Amino acid sequence: MSQTPRIRGGIGADGPYWDALERGVFQLPRCAGCGAWMWPAHYRCGDCGSWDMEWVPLDPIGTLYTWTRMHQAPVLVRERIEDVPYVTLLAEIPAAGGKRVVGALHGSEDGLAIGVPIRGVFLPPSPKTKGYATLGWEIVR
Amino acid sequence: MSLRGKTAIVGIGQTPYYKRGTAPDPEQKLALRAIVAACEDAGIDPRDIDGFVSYGSERNTGQQMLPALGLRDLRFAALAWTHGGGIPGALTIAAAAIVSGQAEIVVVHRAMAEGSNQRLQVAVTQDETPAQFLVNGVDFILARSAQRAMRLIHEGVPQECFEAIARAGYFHAQNNPGAMGHGHMLTLEAYAASRWIGEPLHLYDCSRESDAAAAVVLVSAERARDLRQKPAYLLSAPMGAGASQGSREDNHEPYTSVGMIGLADRLWRESGYGPSDVDVAQVYENFTPMAAMALIDHGFCTRESAGDVLTFDNLIAPAGKLPINTSGGNIADGFIHGMGLLPEAVRQIRGTSTNQVPGARLSLMTGGPGDSLTSTALLGSDETL
Ligand SMILES: [Zn+2]
Repeated sequence: MSQTPRIRGGIGADGPYWDALERGVFQLPRCAGCGAWMWPAHYRCGDCGSWDMEWVPLDPIGTLYTWTRMHQAPVLVRERIEDVPYVTLLAEIPAAGGKRVVGALHGSEDGLAIGVPIRGVFLPPSPKTKGYATLGWEIVR
Repeated sequence: MSLRGKTAIVGIGQTPYYKRGTAPDPEQKLALRAIVAACEDAGIDPRDIDGFVSYGSERNTGQQMLPALGLRDLRFAALAWTHGGGIPGALTIAAAAIVSGQAEIVVVHRAMAEGSNQRLQVAVTQDETPAQFLVNGVDFILARSAQRAMRLIHEGVPQECFEAIARAGYFHAQNNPGAMGHGHMLTLEAYAASRWIGEPLHLYDCSRESDAAAAVVLVSAERARDLRQKPAYLLSAPMGAGASQGSREDNHEPYTSVGMIGLADRLWRESGYGPSDVDVAQVYENFTPMAAMALIDHGFCTRESAGDVLTFDNLIAPAGKLPINTSGGNIADGFIHGMGLLPEAVRQIRGTSTNQVPGARLSLMTGGPGDSLTSTALLGSDETL
């Protein structure tokens, strides 16, 4: 896919994140000037002023920072209605300075609790994901 | 230069609340009705309005309404550049215009009617919804607020605080005949049995979306003293965002802050008062846990003490230590993007609330907690100047 995000309204600097997921790679941006991790991606490092980001491939391993079980689908994502209730979450990524990445739970809810280890699973594009390849997060048991 | 006490709200006006999509009038007519009502309340001829300020996605502009109001000299118009977080900030813009001589009689208003616009949650999110939310089925406002609420519970704030905030709103609505929740007392059992929207949010933790309009009129403190209503002076209404906040981020610290820590600090410093001085508060609750976070950010309690402070008994008028949302709030009165809270904050200073806090002199109104850039206001009676 192109560097231009297909969904309007994003910051627009996160194209490489989605491109990499299509190749089965989880990567997050780090400032080339000062090494600060950032998420979501931005065009410029607000800390040091650098315009250069390096995208660093990472193992999709994290900790469940917080979650909710959604009992209705968002107005803008009606494709999820058949999944209700479903769990969305923030995955804290220790290898990226503890940055928190938005995601949805994949697989069983057994053991669902803040602080449990979670692992990313590469999922193909679907209407539910608006045609984007995504990372689903499963609880590590 | 501080704007402390230099302007006052001298008129308030509201239409009835209608269930969303059912208002008998189009949105702009509702806006006009609220503005004219606010002028009549103040004893001001609507033709003398010379400024308009609003916030969020308000579409009823001064230049559109000029003919219907018969304005003779429209001199100022501005929009606070955020969503529900902008209500107190809109007061500061209006006050700045008045104190700097740009305008003399400024209306702050907000109108919503789904039939002539679109659903608020769509209007608010359409330009702020990056792929990371949509592809994961994450509702920009609801799911992200629920996730924050879940973390807040993890940090020690019990769900009972959310329930107390919801029940306080419904309790107050019973004395307010205009409230949409009037005649519907919310019991503990009904709260607990209500369906989940996004855990830990029950149905009753979520604000309504109504069709309605509300407006207030601001003038200089000097002019306010000659008008018919007891002035509600604007002591402070700072606007601001936390350093690591950003409207599309979940990486700010502390995560369960709604970005009002620095804002509250500025509010207390400019006004000369602190949390223990506040008599009554209208706390913007798009979702009850976000209101709890706003109260924590303002210093009314900590995560550790919230369970003891944010109780039903403490949150209700007339005798609670911190009565909140005394008209019913966004949850039980009605929801016009938070704007209904502002007239109630003024009524408490006047002594005319249907849930009056006896002798209230300092009345707080917090802006939308879902915005990174938000605002908060302290209104005071003349004794507080
Ligand atoms: Zn940098």
